[in-house]
Amino acid sequence: MTAANKQASRYDPAFANELYAIENGEYMKQCMQCGLCVVTCPARHLMDLQPRKYFKAIQAGDRDQVLKANTPWLCTSCNLCTVRCPRGIPIIDVMHGMKLYLAQKQGIKVAPGALFSKTFFDVMLKRGRQWEAWLTQMYYLKAGPGAIKDAMKMIDVAQAMVFKKRLPLAPAKTIKGKSQLKKIYEKAAALAKEGH
Amino acid sequence: MGYIFYPGCASEATGKASFISFEAVVKALGMDVHDEIPDWNCCGASLVANAVGDLAQQAIAARNLALAEKAGKDVIVACSSCYLNLSWTNEKMKIDPKFHSQINEALGAGGLSYSAGLQVRHLIDVLINEVGLDKVRERTIKPLEGLKVACYSGCQTVRAIRRPDFDDVEFPVMLDRLVEALGATAVPFPMAARCCGGAQQFTNPELIYDLTGKVLDSAAENGADVIVTPCPMCALNTDAFQDKIAKLKKKKYNMPVLFVTQLMGVAFDLKPKDLAFPYNIVSPYKKLAKWVKK
Ligand code: SF4
Ligand code: SF4
Ligand code: SF4
Ligand code: SF4
Repeated sequence: MTAANKQASRYDPAFANELYAIENGEYMKQCMQCGLCVVTCPARHLMDLQPRKYFKAIQAGDRDQVLKANTPWLCTSCNLCTVRCPRGIPIIDVMHGMKLYLAQKQGIKVAPGALFSKTFFDVMLKRGRQWEAWLTQMYYLKAGPGAIKDAMKMIDVAQAMVFKKRLPLAPAKTIKGKSQLKKIYEKAAALAKEGH
Repeated sequence: MGYIFYPGCASEATGKASFISFEAVVKALGMDVHDEIPDWNCCGASLVANAVGDLAQQAIAARNLALAEKAGKDVIVACSSCYLNLSWTNEKMKIDPKFHSQINEALGAGGLSYSAGLQVRHLIDVLINEVGLDKVRERTIKPLEGLKVACYSGCQTVRAIRRPDFDDVEFPVMLDRLVEALGATAVPFPMAARCCGGAQQFTNPELIYDLTGKVLDSAAENGADVIVTPCPMCALNTDAFQDKIAKLKKKKYNMPVLFVTQLMGVAFDLKPKDLAFPYNIVSPYKKLAKWVKK
């Protein structure tokens, strides 16, 4: 393959189309590259592609760049870019769609945020409510030894919270409508699949 | 028709003090708020949207709206994140017929339905626009004169439905007005609607240290004695992580973080147990010694 060919194959319109078809993906077509989201974003300094560049890479079908970017995992859903974007792109919704896509495509270990979100969901669906102490344990159990080392750095915060009764170790209440909730979720997930 | 309360999971853990003081303040003001939504479930937050997508998460959130509609009452919420999830789902159902029917199809699988006829209101909105500041002033027994407060609305509170609703989406002022009605001074606080880093404590802690650090710096630089917020996550990050951030930045903040209803409780001279101070990590007793005995 010549260098020129290699360059050409870096951009794949089919990949862009694949992303436009995910949940909320069609909005990414609307980005006009003004950069307002970048100056807005509180997490930009930690992103390897800031939002504007991320959308450019998507529009260009730059698969490698898009798949390795940490951009959506750093989005905090603060909604500031969403209220500012002159094209009315609901950027946080797009980020949700990308996170789901990436986890499905590359597996749950694609980013700590993917594993944490999935664990959060599993704990929540089972009980109908969140139980933070259990969530934290489950997350670190699945994340493995590296993450546990990180967790140790957080022990001071956790201790203070337990001491002040803000991280109850006893199980949180469960709801009566657990199976109802599960049915609602399953139906909605099926509808989302159909629609995209 | 009055309100029904959506407490959210945080009310049973990290935001317990919000829950306790909310109930007490509601009673003190004689607000038309009755019960919790029966058998409410977690709204899912953005974390569930990450894991299963928006539609599935919003259907989960909508179960609460369907249950509230059965009770025939509008919904009142104090947690910013819950407010975002419930109010945005509600709003989207009102403006997007396709979404409305998808959500109802999902709810139908659980034998429920929701017409999108309710309002979902944030506590601050209801306090300002329904109860009114006059009533708050009237109920204030111990005016908090001399107390300087940084009013941290948080990012999602004012941007939940993505357009100006009850406050400015970038520079909110309603929490300032509320705190002033208690006799306190709201200091200039440019970070009032800036993000604290949200729920990334485990996945990107450096983001929390950085963003929450900026919030704490701004409050300190503007001479605040305390931070006040309605949001359990904002409160958690600024309070529980404060010591850690202070060490990282080689600073000292000593900045108690109170739920707005805790501060209202102080001004209303409610019982110590209603103030729920034992849940605060940075102790508020010293800064509030003029008004509260330990
Ligand atoms: S603000 Fe909107 S249009 Fe502008 S670069 Fe960002 S996403 Fe694109
Ligand atoms: S919503 Fe996400 S992408 Fe947008 S400004 Fe906030 S953190 Fe950045
Ligand atoms: S946003 Fe947080 S506190 Fe509110 S219901 Fe969801 S998980 Fe619970
Ligand atoms: S400031 Fe932080 S916790 Fe508060 S609403 Fe925003 S992201 Fe959530």
